[in-house]
Amino acid sequence: MSALHEVQQAFAASMLFEHDDAICGPIVEDGFTAAERLRIYRNTFRSTLTEVLRITYPAVDRLVGRDFFDSAAEQFIQATPPSSAYLNEYGGGFVEFLATFQAASTLPYLPDVARFEWALSVAANAADVPALEAQALAAVGPEHHAGLQFEPHPSVRFLALDYHAGEVADAVLSGDDAAMAEVDVSRRPVWLVVHRGPNGVEAQRLDPRVYAFVSRLCDGEPLGCLLENAPAEAPALIAEQLTKGRLKAFRIEKDRPS
Amino acid sequence: MAWFEVHPENYMGGGTPLAYLEAIRRDYPLSLHGVGLSLGSADGVDERHLSRLQRLIERVEPGLVSEHLAWSAIDGTHFADLLPLPLTEDALAIVCRNIEVTQDRLKRRILIENPSSYLRYCHSTIPEWEFIAAVAARTGCSILCDVNNIYVSAYNHGFDARRYLRSLRVACIGEVHLAGHTLREFDDGRSIRIDDHGARVCPEVWALYAEAVALFGRIPTLIEWDTDVPPLAVLLEEAAHAESIMTAELADVSAA
Repeated sequence: MSALHEVQQAFAASMLFEHDDAICGPIVEDGFTAAERLRIYRNTFRSTLTEVLRITYPAVDRLVGRDFFDSAAEQFIQATPPSSAYLNEYGGGFVEFLATFQAASTLPYLPDVARFEWALSVAANAADVPALEAQALAAVGPEHHAGLQFEPHPSVRFLALDYHAGEVADAVLSGDDAAMAEVDVSRRPVWLVVHRGPNGVEAQRLDPRVYAFVSRLCDGEPLGCLLENAPAEAPALIAEQLTKGRLKAFRIEKDRPS
Repeated sequence: MAWFEVHPENYMGGGTPLAYLEAIRRDYPLSLHGVGLSLGSADGVDERHLSRLQRLIERVEPGLVSEHLAWSAIDGTHFADLLPLPLTEDALAIVCRNIEVTQDRLKRRILIENPSSYLRYCHSTIPEWEFIAAVAARTGCSILCDVNNIYVSAYNHGFDARRYLRSLRVACIGEVHLAGHTLREFDDGRSIRIDDHGARVCPEVWALYAEAVALFGRIPTLIEWDTDVPPLAVLLEEAAHAESIMTAELADVSAA
């Protein structure tokens, strides 16, 4: 290991855990102590990532308040620092962190609000990939229809939630206390599909049977199996997924994946 | 406005941000100024990040691609900040190797910027101005001379900002940055300057910029202001002020 590697590991221990012992020795102390100098960098590290999380989870921030959010974020950042410099993909684990965060247990709907906001963020930042065009399917012969398997657009996320997280998020972000007071925050399951289509990011509420069908369709279950126990509106649902741009590609079962 | 500069890290996904960037690119030249490649990492540059940067370069065809003389990641953990390097032969070799990997991969020369810093290492043996000059000489990269960062670091570490400027080879300079910073003063009389890109360029940095222009000639200059962003008119005033200094200095040079 190089001398630089050792310095960087010692610096990392200071940034993450405030373990300054190994790094203080090599730092010049003129005017400011090594610990004071390191704190400048540690504060930037924490505040930058806290703001990244606040941008991704604005409704969570509003629900718990700034100080609570900062404290939760600090603990999350220490436990789960970024594994890449592309920070739009940072923070998905905050959902599970909140679900087990004792201090947030008085807001049982909070993890679902976080799940909803993470899905919006994933959809907003997903790669620009052309959606599957309905015409591309026209060339598939009827004998292959049972073997058709679809791939979802990278922006698609399915959410089966215990609380109406979208309504909670909309109400708290509207800043309207009356609207927030009217939201039903009791345990009521809801099924959503979130994606980014031609009109931007969209969250659509689905009937549970429709949710089961559409999620299995997007997850690549062969059409033959899927249609054995499908809702009557299955053809319309398939057409809708194509129109909304929720499908990226298809293949025919037993083909070599392309 | 002659050109725009963005952090590539904000455009590595798709959707609205990238659509805006492409709209800007249709009318203006673009510079990609990276903050995440961590060219000073002892364990090398992140291959995934390099791939993402390469894809963005292919998509928007920037005129300039730059990064920092700093590190931000080790052992797979990223700190989202420009952390200071010990200025040693060991670190110099590692930075040069990482820049060579990057330039080979991107098939282009990049620019390296001097960062602001708030600490130094006891075992550093090379002054920063010699270190960055050596990086440019060994790798063929250009230097993005951040005049504000020189001023901030010179204040924080007690070196001579003018000596720094004079020791850079004119042929290596590809771009200049200007920005505002904060002077943080403590009750006990101590003070430190923090680079935050959140204010107008201060008079001392404008003066240093005039000296940089006199030394380097006409160089693409960017005002960095990405914290508490003011109305566009303020940004345009800052850019116009930079232009007026450049024009005045170059008129002096040609008259001399």
